[in-house]
Amino acid sequence: MAAPEQQPPPPEGSKLLSGLLSGIAQTTYYGNADITEELLRGQLYPEAAPEEFRALRAKMGGLLQSIASADMDLNQLEAFLTAQTKKQGGITSDQAAVIAKFWKNHRVKIHESLISQSRWDNVLKNMNWRVDLKSQSRHVDQINTPVAIVEMELGRNGKVGPCERVITV
Amino acid sequence: ADKISLIPQDFFAELCEQIIQHLNHKIPGINTAELCQRIQTSGIEINAGDLAKIANIFSFLFSTAARNNLSTEELVITLGNAVSTLPKHALQVIRHVWNEQGKSISVSEDARNRASVGQFVDMKWKLGVAMSSDTCRSLRFPYVAVTLSVADPSGQVTDKSFEMSIPQFKNFFRQFKEMAAVLETV
Repeated sequence: MAAPEQQPPPPEGSKLLSGLLSGIAQTTYYGNADITEELLRGQLYPEAAPEEFRALRAKMGGLLQSIASADMDLNQLEAFLTAQTKKQGGITSDQAAVIAKFWKNHRVKIHESLISQSRWDNVLKNMNWRVDLKSQSRHVDQINTPVAIVEMELGRNGKVGPCERVITV
Repeated sequence: ADKISLIPQDFFAELCEQIIQHLNHKIPGINTAELCQRIQTSGIEINAGDLAKIANIFSFLFSTAARNNLSTEELVITLGNAVSTLPKHALQVIRHVWNEQGKSISVSEDARNRASVGQFVDMKWKLGVAMSSDTCRSLRFPYVAVTLSVADPSGQVTDKSFEMSIPQFKNFFRQFKEMAAVLETV
């Protein structure tokens, strides 16, 4: 573990960074458009200048994007973050720890969100079924035939699709 | 009518055969898409929509004729002016099909009762893995893609496709297993 070059940042620093990462995840991966850059800056780093904050947000967003895109496991993550701490203009080891903790907690959910962003075809949203028994029919061969009726709701990306009702025997 | 002339006699005969079988409840639907593909392969320029319309027209014609117990000659008269626009080979097929099978069609009320429910014809599936995308380089997401062929009450067969994640598929499979169990015991 690299020794910190400066005074360890106050615990607030970690909390703020964690909050920033959450905010970034909200817009980028969880589709929450309400979390704007302005909102984040106001809530977390009100003293920071807009350009300074923008740069920080971009840096953290970029790191998170690399981690998410590769769906890094713990080994890959450690190697990646360690390399980042050694870079010019990289991150501190405390920041690396915050990012690592964040990724461990959010990995599955972010990965699922990325998967659903790549699913463009219809998805089976819901399914109901019923079994009927035809007791009367003009066609003798259909009497007493059990019939299964299935209702499937197909849709894509949050839109509600048509309900298909299908009869099977 | 000009589209009908495009269809070669044997394909038109097959279409009429399928229509009659559908009206007799022997097959769940008329697979116009598949027939259209075969016609196109033989070099004829016809699209599935036109073929579906033609199928609907003759389905209506035959079912009306069956309901009214028309003889072949009466059926031809019903065609009225359209007779002159129809190609000779099509008329021949209509006459032949009706002579052979017209009497056997018993049109029931069933089709109307099943207005909102289609009939299952076929299911195709595949298992795929989404490896990578523009938003995520390492997706590695396995999924099951299914295509259901469903015949609507008029006999038109359409394909519905959808995807399921593995957990979704497991649920799908479990539901059908439950259905199968109930169907056995009913």
